[in-house]
Amino acid sequence: MTFLRRLTRWETGLLVMIGIVLAVGSATSPGLLSTYNLQTIAINNSVLACLAFGVAPVIIAADIDISVASTLALCGVFMAKLWGGGMDIWLAALLAVGLGGVLGLINGVFVVLLDLPALAVTLGTMGAYTGVAFLILKGAAIVDFPTGLLNLGSGTIAGTQIELSTVVVVGLLLVLTFVVHVSPYGRALFAVGANRQAALFSGVAVTRTRLIAFVIAGMFAALAAVFYLGNYDTAQANIASDQLLPAITAVILGGVSAYGGTGTIPGVALAVILLALLQSALGLAGVSGQAQTIAVGALLIFAIGSGAAIQALPGLGRIARRRVPDSEPTASP
Amino acid sequence: MSVSSSPSPRRSAVRALTRHNEIGLIGLIVLVTVVAEAAVPAFRASGNDTQILDNAALVMIVAVGEALVITARQIDLSVAATLGLAAYLVGSAVGHIGFAGPVVGVAMALALGAVLGFGNGILIERIRMPAIIATLATLSIYGGLQVVVTHGSQLYSSQLPNWLGNIISTSWIGLSPLVWAAIVCVVVVGLIARFTRWGRDIYAIGSNPEAASYLGLRTGRRTYEVFAVCGALAGLAGLLYAGQYGNVDATAGSGFELTAIAAAVIGGVSLFGGSGSPLGAALGALLLTEIENILAVLKISIFAQQTLQGTAIVVAVAGYSLLSRRLNRPVRRSLRVEAGQSRPAEPSEPVSSEPTEIAEQGT
Repeated sequence: MTFLRRLTRWETGLLVMIGIVLAVGSATSPGLLSTYNLQTIAINNSVLACLAFGVAPVIIAADIDISVASTLALCGVFMAKLWGGGMDIWLAALLAVGLGGVLGLINGVFVVLLDLPALAVTLGTMGAYTGVAFLILKGAAIVDFPTGLLNLGSGTIAGTQIELSTVVVVGLLLVLTFVVHVSPYGRALFAVGANRQAALFSGVAVTRTRLIAFVIAGMFAALAAVFYLGNYDTAQANIASDQLLPAITAVILGGVSAYGGTGTIPGVALAVILLALLQSALGLAGVSGQAQTIAVGALLIFAIGSGAAIQALPGLGRIARRRVPDSEPTASP
Repeated sequence: MSVSSSPSPRRSAVRALTRHNEIGLIGLIVLVTVVAEAAVPAFRASGNDTQILDNAALVMIVAVGEALVITARQIDLSVAATLGLAAYLVGSAVGHIGFAGPVVGVAMALALGAVLGFGNGILIERIRMPAIIATLATLSIYGGLQVVVTHGSQLYSSQLPNWLGNIISTSWIGLSPLVWAAIVCVVVVGLIARFTRWGRDIYAIGSNPEAASYLGLRTGRRTYEVFAVCGALAGLAGLLYAGQYGNVDATAGSGFELTAIAAAVIGGVSLFGGSGSPLGAALGALLLTEIENILAVLKISIFAQQTLQGTAIVVAVAGYSLLSRRLNRPVRRSLRVEAGQSRPAEPSEPVSSEPTEIAEQGT
């Protein structure tokens, strides 16, 4: 019931904001809702969606993973290199997803088994993974991937206007939503994120739950790499390094508390849509790419600020205030 | 809980050494220097040592501020954008100031940085955003502002006044003014953190925010202050950045936040808060820069450097944590007997006598 209430609260707010952006955006620039523009938005944001979906479980478990963009780059390079060596592209993609899982596991081993701060560890592995990606390619780029992959990245389903990548991303969204919100693992995840100690004493396999969250993040980063190669048709060691902050922004904007224990995967998906539409609307209105980051930052503050304001309303206030000190000790900054 | 009393004198000596990990860091820096002097001819080239110090200076200044914030169990990701914004704004303003240029310039840089840092403080303390999210947002906002104010143009060294443009080419007693500025920052902030009540407040808040507020420490006010100080130092670093590189554009300073955090972490500042020192962070910055320099003169590709830097961070964090846990093990066991099953605070160094001192003063 609480879950449903939260869903209606935060996600409704996101839907309202999406509505506002759509209304204002299409009023000022009619091109926003054209099929072509929507398709562009869809294919350009499948990477962001995958990254954000992957990071969400980690943040729900009150950890953080800032190495996902580097994981993406390394997996993309690895996949391209395997393909360049004559391997079938889909087998290479599968192996890359496996590698993503391993890289996530490495993060998890350091953070969970050695009990180190997640931010410091993933800051380190972020540099390390990007560096390894560079060492593999030595600064070169691999291009001209087979049509099958390009179709996945930027093609439409035959006979319709729907992007193939969007369908796959929605499929991934459903799978992850099931894992996080329906399966026993998901319940363990929220328990661990809300209060690690209490979860441990309640018999939740805390170590395993956190490890799996990191593995999920790594695998989704690798899936994002597959989409990246399909969309941009190039593999380089520095790809997508600018996607880290938008991904974490999307997760937080989607209603996942940075202290862990709350949030929903559909909320994250809505946040990705909101960010994508906002970016496109601002672009059409002539706002330069980097200046758009102001809007993204302001939106983040607005969302968190208004969320806090709603919680501070009479009646809800006591619950909200009680929650904060409870969850603080488990939050690793 | 006096956890500082230890079973054997030898162990306490080891513990003292690790508690003051600055000594270990200095040892490591000396060791790296000696090995590099012996093994790498290019490292001995004249001017390389001053180059290392010049390159380390900015990282030191930012890392010292970051160390304070991390010690207070917060984090500031926005320092890079603060640095870039100050580099452009103050850098272009000082060119028009004729009288007392350096003083006014430094004051402007500190003030601008403090205001931006105060903005972070408001988000964190007033809106109650987690520091990592708030400063992530301000990193976007301040970075965007940097793009807006530069609007595609650049600041060139010819637009800078002489005192700023020559900041690394002049030499005061063998070191450039840039390095002296860094040394002053490190010493001043280090002394404040170590010997003033304000500094002890920061450690107390970082060790246990709740206990600190029950003790009557003004945690909210300290949060504002610590972010303002961190921002001010980043702003100062921005002004010096303009002087050092003579060329400021919309991307100036990007990536600095991670370097600064890495330096602090390598310098032994615990991300769990409450332990570490500004001096350690500065030494971490120096060590990081020195290793970078050695790799560069060895002509090892910049990408391998990135790998090594990342690995160094993980190794440093793991090393500090495992070392302090190992040394604290007997203490922890004795605590457990006293306090039942409750786990002692964090794997990082337990607060020794500080809380009692503060309690005496605070009440």
